[in-house]
Amino acid sequence: MSAEERAGTHPASYEAAVERLEQIIARLDSNQAGLRETLELCREGKGLIEFAAGELEAVGAGLEELRLDELVARLEVEQRSAG
Amino acid sequence: MAAASGIPGYSGPYAVGRYAAALRERLRGFARVSLIGEVAGVRMGRGPNVYFELRDRDGAVPCAMWRTDFDRLGLRDGELCDGAEVVVAGHCDYYPGGATASPRFSFRVGDLRLAGEGDLLARLDRLRRQLTAEGLLDPQKRLPRPALPRSIGVVTAEGGAARRDLLAGLERRSWRGRIVWAYAPVQDRRAAPALAAAIRELAAVADVETIVVTRGGGSIADLWAFCDETLCRTVAMLPVPVVSAVGHEVDRTLIDDVAAVCCSTPTHAAEAVVGVDCAVARATLRRSAARVDALGRAALASRARALGASSRAPREHIRRERRHLHQKTRELRAASGRGLDERRDFQRRVAVTVVGRKLAVAERRGADERSVLGARLARLERAAASLSERRAAALREHAAALRAADPERALERGYALALDGAGAPLATARAVRAADTFDLRMADGTIPARVSGGASEGDR
Repeated sequence: MSAEERAGTHPASYEAAVERLEQIIARLDSNQAGLRETLELCREGKGLIEFAAGELEAVGAGLEELRLDELVARLEVEQRSAG
Repeated sequence: MAAASGIPGYSGPYAVGRYAAALRERLRGFARVSLIGEVAGVRMGRGPNVYFELRDRDGAVPCAMWRTDFDRLGLRDGELCDGAEVVVAGHCDYYPGGATASPRFSFRVGDLRLAGEGDLLARLDRLRRQLTAEGLLDPQKRLPRPALPRSIGVVTAEGGAARRDLLAGLERRSWRGRIVWAYAPVQDRRAAPALAAAIRELAAVADVETIVVTRGGGSIADLWAFCDETLCRTVAMLPVPVVSAVGHEVDRTLIDDVAAVCCSTPTHAAEAVVGVDCAVARATLRRSAARVDALGRAALASRARALGASSRAPREHIRRERRHLHQKTRELRAASGRGLDERRDFQRRVAVTVVGRKLAVAERRGADERSVLGARLARLERAAASLSERRAAALREHAAALRAADPERALERGYALALDGAGAPLATARAVRAADTFDLRMADGTIPARVSGGASEGDR
């Protein structure tokens, strides 16, 4: 995970978020983090949990099935109406 | 009739019919060969010929077969169909046509058989080596593949078992995102181009993150569309990862080689496309959330306790120091009391020890002196005894001597002792005469006596 991602922006992917979250928990578990670092890690961890929960939520609401030909036709209509 | 003039630089002009006949003979003189390719455009009219084209990626040849030869093959209806791989044997031929008939080049097929597995596998092997040499087996495998895609594109046959199995696999993952179905034929000559087009169109849909290409099992001939070179080149260069699940575990098509992931069944493809079990992941995430929260709270609480302890520290420190001082004072007193007692006890012990030692020395010395004195006393006693004995002996001797010299004894033997008036002995005759009167003591009494007459013989 990049420094930018750690700074609070969204992680690159669900698996990147989970990997970073595991690192954070391991660091907190070690009791070696100072107070400031602990608070920052907790904040970052909560952000990652929200992100990962959002990703899981997105694939948990219900199966949506589309046909490619219908999707292409719809996109073409949208493109024409936009043009 | 004047001869037609030609064109400078070229011979002729010749009559086209003659030329066509010569061309036919020339073409028929080519070597008789066998060819392998895919059948296309089969036409079985009522005429004497069966027509079709034999194609592969690089070219095509129009073929013609006499109906009688074709019937002799004994093929079932539909076996010679578009997309079938066949091996044909024959030679080049040319129908010269005529004034009302069009000419036609064809490969005159004398014999034909459906391509066997060995033929197809050999061709597949050649294609595989070619794509490998071009490095087309790797690009898909280098693409990042999301573990939890929101949207999946699927290329398969509509209503096929593969579709049902894939859905069941995704349900087992508790994945309920978006699926974009791109239905395409999966087994005939139309299959490969349709599959390639579907894959390209799915890749163009912005939110499709992974594409699954799947169909059920079959012979290598049935799966041949998935070994199509154009299709496989399309997949190899696609920017979206493709998961292939074509046929069963033993079937290995070319698309399996170029795809990012090759799975043996549609169910496995579902597990490959969705890399996490969503239900398990949700539970794990809830535990992680609780853990992060608890660890954060614990860190704050421990610091707060430390701060509270620090704020109480000075008072506690003074109290502790006071207690410490009091304790030390008590200990000092106790120690000084114990010190005096110990010192007294020590001095007493020292005195006892010293006195004891001196006493012991004195006793030893007294004993020694007593011993010496005893010895001396013994010696004195022995000396005294000896002296007493010697004196007693001497006394006895003296007594004996005295007794021997005792006048009483002499008196007892008849001697007489002249004593003066005072009782002193008169030892000489002169003294007796001088005394004139004297006492003559005898053993049994004293007799007064007087000198009478002259001198006696004794006076002389």
